[in-house]
Amino acid sequence: MNNKISLEHVTYRYSVGTPFEKTALDDVTLGFEQGIITGLMGHTGSGKSTIAQLLNGLLRPTEGRVLLDGEDIWAEPKKIGAVRFRVGLVFQYPEYQLFEESVERDIAYGPGNMGLSQEEITERVHNAARFAGISPDLFDKSPFELSGGQKRRVAIAGVMAMEPEILVLDEPAAGLDPAGRREILGGIRAYQKEKKNTIIIISHSMEDMAIYADKLMVLDHGHVSRYGTPHEVFSHAEELKQVGLSRPQITKFIMELQRAGIPVEGGIYSVDEAYREVLRAFEKKRMGG
Amino acid sequence: MNQNVTNPIIEAKDLCFSYKNEDGIPLPVIRNLTFSVERGSFVCILGHNGSGKSTLAKLLNLVLTPDSGSLSVGGIDVMRDDLSDDDIYNLRRRIGMVFQNPDNQLVATIVEEDIAFGPENLGIAPDEIRTRVDEALRAVNMTEFAHHSPSQLSGGQKQRIAIAGIIAMLPDCIIFDESTAMLDPIGRAEVMDTIESLNRERGITVLHITHYMDEAVRADRVIVMNHGEIFLDDTPGAVFAQVEALQSVGLDVPQVTALVHKLRREAGFEISEDILHSADAVKALKELYESI
Repeated sequence: MNNKISLEHVTYRYSVGTPFEKTALDDVTLGFEQGIITGLMGHTGSGKSTIAQLLNGLLRPTEGRVLLDGEDIWAEPKKIGAVRFRVGLVFQYPEYQLFEESVERDIAYGPGNMGLSQEEITERVHNAARFAGISPDLFDKSPFELSGGQKRRVAIAGVMAMEPEILVLDEPAAGLDPAGRREILGGIRAYQKEKKNTIIIISHSMEDMAIYADKLMVLDHGHVSRYGTPHEVFSHAEELKQVGLSRPQITKFIMELQRAGIPVEGGIYSVDEAYREVLRAFEKKRMGG
Repeated sequence: MNQNVTNPIIEAKDLCFSYKNEDGIPLPVIRNLTFSVERGSFVCILGHNGSGKSTLAKLLNLVLTPDSGSLSVGGIDVMRDDLSDDDIYNLRRRIGMVFQNPDNQLVATIVEEDIAFGPENLGIAPDEIRTRVDEALRAVNMTEFAHHSPSQLSGGQKQRIAIAGIIAMLPDCIIFDESTAMLDPIGRAEVMDTIESLNRERGITVLHITHYMDEAVRADRVIVMNHGEIFLDDTPGAVFAQVEALQSVGLDVPQVTALVHKLRREAGFEISEDILHSADAVKALKELYESI
């Protein structure tokens, strides 16, 4: 397996040396594959957000190493700033972090700090805005005039415009309506296809990750309990339940049909797949007479 | 279709509200909204981002004042000129609100103190507060966590404590403004079970604002908002049968409903269009399958 970035025996403790000391991660080893979208899933408190911040050097491991292309990002702590250009992090509810006078300047802020030419910055801003679903006629508006969903896209575009080798997004679709979820996650998927970069999406939504992720990594109390394609991961129903997650509604429904005596195959996790599978089972019976 | 309401807890007529942009130009968010809510019912409000759901919640809880129209909450006309501060406090006690972020709503360092915060501010006697806190903890099934620190709780547990804090003020109605949006699937299920039991067992009127279609299935009535107006208003079955209409306003239907709809529409399956629950869909498909 070709890991772009990995944690090697990482332990992370918050508030070391105070009465509030808490171990968030205990000797964790995991890796994210190059050039795919990995969905990082787990219940609240499973360590997802801590991992996100370790990956781009916002947190420093108490023990262990974070390896980017095989090299320890903390080998020279003074150069950690450079890692943050290579590993972009979009926090939860990033719409609260906009600050520029115009949408265009807000998206340009990150690339503007990378020593790029003005032409290059402009091109990146337009490109990122396209993937994030921001139309150029919003460029001159104040970000504060936009709706919550639009602000979220501007914030995501700002990190996309830095074209990081690795993009980590913490719940990018949380709180959005279904159409908004599709647009943002679809935009991230299209961006990944074009840039061929490594993307990690933290999400609670099995339904979304079934569609948009190539691989899923399931965390339980700071450890990887399952890693594989959505198909492989969703086949472990009981285990998912135990770690506070569940399979998509449609996956469960197909299993219920099976139990009711309709010979549909399992491993279905979208409505379109379910539709084809039900039709296939009915067709087979019609043909078989 | 407007629902038949005989004993309303909320009555709004031609309600309008606008925010003003930087140049003072009004941006209408709620447009001539007319609706009422039956006391003791469980109503879900759906709508895309920016459709006016949260603004409506803030109007009902008197955080915002309507520009025009009439609004009566709990039998009190909230647009009356002589509405006193006491009236407003009293109304806010009776119409509680639970918000989205579980980390922004708890104020104390111990769970039971957090729940006591509301009643203490209402000047309730200590004995009575004790009784109410214990009862509220039972209502949300969190008694064993009474002496924990909120920081040790999961998101779903924190939301249940926020709910208990409202229950301790003995509300008639609770408005949940996307209170499940930030929770993991287990936390979401815990909070939905709590909401449902408050409504069914305690008769508290529930207005639940959400983006999760599967949650709306559990309500008595679903109101779909679009551009500050009511777009659909009916039982969950009737609302979710209108798949294309919902999609046209940026919403979806639960996955099982979507599958049934697609089978009926694209493959000509003869199944009823208002199927919401998995068990009903399994039954209908099984019958069809066996009739081949």
